[in-house]
Amino acid sequence: MESGMGNEQRPLDIVSQRITDTIGRLFDIARPGAVFSEPVEAEGYIAITAKEIVTGMGMGLGAGSGEEPAGEDGKPGSGGEGAGGGGGGYSYGRPVAVISIGRDGVQVTPVLDATKIGLALLTAWGAIAITTMRMRRFSRRSLG
Amino acid sequence: MQAQDRLHWSTEQGEVIEKDGIRITPESRSLTIRWPNGGLVWNRPLAVVVDRGGTTERIPIVDVTRWIVWGAAGFAALVFLLGGILSRRK
Repeated sequence: MESGMGNEQRPLDIVSQRITDTIGRLFDIARPGAVFSEPVEAEGYIAITAKEIVTGMGMGLGAGSGEEPAGEDGKPGSGGEGAGGGGGGYSYGRPVAVISIGRDGVQVTPVLDATKIGLALLTAWGAIAITTMRMRRFSRRSLG
Repeated sequence: MQAQDRLHWSTEQGEVIEKDGIRITPESRSLTIRWPNGGLVWNRPLAVVVDRGGTTERIPIVDVTRWIVWGAAGFAALVFLLGGILSRRK
């Protein structure tokens, strides 16, 4: 009787295949279709949203097995095996512009991210303020 | 895996959209970095190519937010650097 074990996929191979498939799908967002939305038509205009996308992903898995050496009594030792894996990812998207096509022709209107700009300006202002304070302190020490 | 497979920088054109005789083709630029069991993709809109009855015009898509953020970071870094240099001179 044939067991057919040779054709069966090990769980680790199945997981490995799934990882490969998932990572393969990650690279689908490198297409223009991922950046530009489907055109929306309203009041004689067609609008398309353009966005920036950043996606990163990493996965890993490993397996191992071992056997205990035979004991003094000659009995074979017990064996064991184990497998584990993990992964992580990051995804980020931000609208950059709106493209409109209508009677006036084609217009590209930039989209401003007020939160991001505000945080950047605040951080820059903080860095400049710290530098100015350090310079003033240094000047006082030099004069004193 | 070869170096060009690991790091890939490409400009691609999307599907053409047509309205009232105006044909627009969106363009995007992507950076793809691959490593075993992982990768990173940065994709951003680049421009729209407008074709009006044979006259072609390319309108760039400017990411104003990115310019402001990097401008602020650059200015702060410059002030920090100049502050350090001036402090040492005194």
